[in-house]
Amino acid sequence: MPPGEAALRRAEGWLFAPGDPRRLAAVRIGLCGLLAVRLASGPYPELATQPAALFRPISFLRLLDRMPSPEVVAALQALALGAAVLACVGLLTRATLPVAWLAALPLVAMTSSLGKVVHNDVLLLLCLVPLLPSRAGAAWSLDARQRPPARTGTAFGWPVRTAMVVVAGAYFFSGLGKLLHAGPAWVLSDNVRWVLYASSDTQPDPNPFALFVADRPLLAHLVAAATLAVELGFPLVLWRPRLAWLFVPAALAMHAGIGLAMRLDYSVMAAVVLVVLVDWPALIDRFHPPGQGEAPGPVPVEERR
Amino acid sequence: MEPRSSPSPPDQAPRWARWFVGAYLAVFVLCGVAGLEAWPLTGWRLFADARQARQPGLQAATVDADGRETPIPFRDLPAGFRGDVQVLKGFADLSPARQAAVCQAWAEEVRARGGEVAEIRIYATVTDVSDRVGDRAAPPTRTLRFTCRPRSADAAG
Repeated sequence: MPPGEAALRRAEGWLFAPGDPRRLAAVRIGLCGLLAVRLASGPYPELATQPAALFRPISFLRLLDRMPSPEVVAALQALALGAAVLACVGLLTRATLPVAWLAALPLVAMTSSLGKVVHNDVLLLLCLVPLLPSRAGAAWSLDARQRPPARTGTAFGWPVRTAMVVVAGAYFFSGLGKLLHAGPAWVLSDNVRWVLYASSDTQPDPNPFALFVADRPLLAHLVAAATLAVELGFPLVLWRPRLAWLFVPAALAMHAGIGLAMRLDYSVMAAVVLVVLVDWPALIDRFHPPGQGEAPGPVPVEERR
Repeated sequence: MEPRSSPSPPDQAPRWARWFVGAYLAVFVLCGVAGLEAWPLTGWRLFADARQARQPGLQAATVDADGRETPIPFRDLPAGFRGDVQVLKGFADLSPARQAAVCQAWAEEVRARGGEVAEIRIYATVTDVSDRVGDRAAPPTRTLRFTCRPRSADAAG
């Protein structure tokens, strides 16, 4: 068998290996909870009143000549929020999860129709995609109360692992983009210093965190190198799950640093990393071993590594 | 160590799931590698360019009847007005009617907040962020590019 085909087979074997229904449930609860929070707090009603001249549509919103009307936005927001909450608690999950995603799509597209893609929400939407046709409501849901407990099976592995690939890919491609567009200069030049100075200069008050790094060339180079290392190295968590202990905190620290220094909010992206890459059932089992009253399916060894 | 669960032969992912995941990851990877934007799929271009110390930009300011200039406070305006950087970048490529409509929208919002707007000026700026004056960059060099008045726009450059 050619090496390329063998690698593809191994990847396929990993993607479609059995999984714990509780881990898929944890991802469903986390992502739908995040979506509900975003839908409840997003600036959609305000965006709906944007003058048409300022509309910079993205994707399918190019079919419109202005933002959707406030009435349409209110209806979509209510539908998406209600469905996201229901999907979060796992009621009629096979229907409510796709409805939440589809109704949220135009709303989130509105936030990216100011001329710049809002990657914060994009990762959330993309990680939800593999859950749409899955049996995400088979455990830890109101749906599951009327059925026998779900056991470990292939139906519960691929949605979570696909979402993990998407998270790892998001960081890897961010790093790859830097290498392709800027090359080694992204780290070796004063790029990060100038980014941080420019960011501080556009804030109402000088930003002490940005200036602390920008005023120290060596530190700025280290920050740049660490950023690139975290982004390009992130897919290693798929190969060695233990490395999540390194890369997940590193990614969270990176987003926290960007938030402090540049006042850019990547909190949803950071939360998606936590939701998707942490094995929540294994963590719960570690602190609360399953009692006699509960009979969850066994957690595969690979999920616990 | 827990025993590894071994699925029985029927417990295999269905063909549709394999196709679904394969197709989804293929387009996800294609967009990432090629930097394609097919929202919600994206090329993940986040701070991808290496910045230089001298940074070009654009600045919009209102001018009152006495000739006093005030930068438009986009951060304080509603969410729909915060794409100012991208709108300004593409301003030169807009039709005169669209330029006038953009200026009109900005002027109306500033007026709604009590500001006086006789005209709007758009400057091309170059800021040398390495040239520091205290905690701020030295003021940018500015070149007037456009002047708009309510319901009209005159290209000045």
